[in-house]
Amino acid sequence: MLKSMFQKIFEWLKSAGGITVAVSVILLALATWDQGPYILVNTVVTGGMLGLVAMGLAVILGVLNIAQFAHGEYFMIGGLTAYYVITPIQNYLTAHPNAFLAAVAPFVAMIFATLAGAIAGALTELLCFRPLRARSRANWVMNSFLLTVGLSVILVNGDLLIFGADFKGIVGYWQGAPLSVAGVYVSIDRVMAFILALAIVIGFWVFMKYSRTGQAIRAVAQDELGALMVGIGLEWIMVLTMALGCAMAAVAGASLLFMYPSYPTVGLEPLYMAWFVVILVGLGNVMGALIGGFMVSLLKVLTVAYVGEGWQFVIPSVLIILVLIFKPSGVFGSEVRGVLDQ
Amino acid sequence: MKSGVSKHEMGLLSRILDRLCLTPLGALLLIILALLPFIPPFGEEYMLRWLTLIALTAASAIAFDLTAGFINIVNFGFAAILGLGSYTSALLAVRLGLTPWVGMFIGALAAGVLGFLTGVLTLRLRGIFAAVMAWFVGLALMGLAIKMVWLTRGPLGLRVPRLVQNEANQPYYYIMLIMLFVTYVVCRWTTRSKMGLAFKAIGQNMEAARTSGVNPTYYRVVNFTLSCTIAGWLGGFYAHYMGILTPDLMHTSKTVEVLAVAYIGGRGTLWGGAFIAFPFLVAMELIRSGASNMPGINLVIYGLILIVVMIYLPGGVASLYYRFLYKPWGKFWKFMISYKENE
Repeated sequence: MLKSMFQKIFEWLKSAGGITVAVSVILLALATWDQGPYILVNTVVTGGMLGLVAMGLAVILGVLNIAQFAHGEYFMIGGLTAYYVITPIQNYLTAHPNAFLAAVAPFVAMIFATLAGAIAGALTELLCFRPLRARSRANWVMNSFLLTVGLSVILVNGDLLIFGADFKGIVGYWQGAPLSVAGVYVSIDRVMAFILALAIVIGFWVFMKYSRTGQAIRAVAQDELGALMVGIGLEWIMVLTMALGCAMAAVAGASLLFMYPSYPTVGLEPLYMAWFVVILVGLGNVMGALIGGFMVSLLKVLTVAYVGEGWQFVIPSVLIILVLIFKPSGVFGSEVRGVLDQ
Repeated sequence: MKSGVSKHEMGLLSRILDRLCLTPLGALLLIILALLPFIPPFGEEYMLRWLTLIALTAASAIAFDLTAGFINIVNFGFAAILGLGSYTSALLAVRLGLTPWVGMFIGALAAGVLGFLTGVLTLRLRGIFAAVMAWFVGLALMGLAIKMVWLTRGPLGLRVPRLVQNEANQPYYYIMLIMLFVTYVVCRWTTRSKMGLAFKAIGQNMEAARTSGVNPTYYRVVNFTLSCTIAGWLGGFYAHYMGILTPDLMHTSKTVEVLAVAYIGGRGTLWGGAFIAFPFLVAMELIRSGASNMPGINLVIYGLILIVVMIYLPGGVASLYYRFLYKPWGKFWKFMISYKENE
């Protein structure tokens, strides 16, 4: 029993995914030993949220076959909503201190942000993709990709038009002394962001695995026609998937508001990073995206630590180019039809 | 473009125009463009500057359409490849004192080589991979241009010698018009040759093309390389026209600009994007300067038009031309648009 388990682990370690994960873990350990534990903490904290954004991207890619270019904009919508919800509450709190409200307010802001992201996603599906789908499905991957490009232009500049170009950020959600983890001081916001990301990912996984709706979503991802034949309401599933994927980006934007103050083009960096993750793990591989989030986050932290600030786009880009050249299906393999064969 | 009439039955004018791939109407529009600097409001320096940059976008849209419209690959790193041409030419001029007239072509070569490498590596996969790979190549290039301050001076801007020792915009405008025309003719010659037939076959149905013995990878790489080469050449002009280069030039939003023009103009027509660039970009600029208290409104409209065109008018403005104006109305109009019954 134990022996066969070891054998399985050994087999997995020899696959591309296993090698990548092993190398990442070793690199992380070496860097932590060399530079101090802040590498580990930074990787883990930003990796969770990055994984969340990338998972949203992967779900949309897997189920709807849409290569989202506007995903960062839902991140922006989340941050913006959270800002406008939390600021009045925090102003009220400075006048009337209230420990309970102070602890709950950030969650209220995040729930509002999630709802805003979900509504924006559903509207996008209803107003943009449904008419396009109804019109023609020829060259769907490319056309929908270009549609999201236009969408991104509209959302970024609409934000600029309505809310202005200034940075709308907060100092932090939760007051209180930073926690000390392995000798590194980590603010409560970061810890909460990580915990939240994990909770959402686990919740999402349970939803996809066990609920009927989640199973329906997976069925559509596997075979659209087959799903239609067994009586799954395709249109509803598509709206739901889009809303879910966008809500994940929005909640990430909301909970990282203290790191990424909201301004029109804030979504660009999460978008790039999420794409790095999705390409690295294989297009549409949802659970791989979580692991990939940590790997890309590690890569980013290592680049900043060893090469310097500002190189974090160059080096991951080069690495992703290598992945595209040598293993275009990603290190964990891709499960998407359409993107590969259409 | 083959017609029922054999070559020597056509008049001399028609034969020349046919060789230049223009209809008489197209030639007329081109002549109007060439005469614009003598028409009062367009003769101003700032107007000429606009027009030159619009013509550059128009030429870029043609080169972009060669891949996007014919083989259905969206080159998402187009601006970065154009920027590579700019920086190559500019650095040769600044560091080695090479004349821009030669440097532009070396820049084109560099862009072509990068395009070739990108193409060889990704074009055997499906279209989205090439788009994403080109995008990341573009990001990496822009990152390099920002970070290699010792070479490119990064965001501080690289001062570049200009193409002609003249502060006026007029010579540049004419150079740009010639480059626009050359771009068009090169792309049109390619697409109406046998190779163009292969491009169209691949773009419409790759499996069918492959079954008929067309090697998709070969043709796609040729197409992609050609498009990138032209982009690099245009980039060389940009560098020596602006006189200052910043890495912003390579930003994805610049690609989106070219993409929007090419798609609104009509994919797969080449002339559509070049034609629509002039009225469209002038209108956008007017909106931007007219509504300066509403920053971003022009780009919102831009994005809306792009989406509406993508969903409801996939053929772009060019399809409107074929639907409403490509009609045998009288002898003169028939001549102007070179209408052919059997097409």
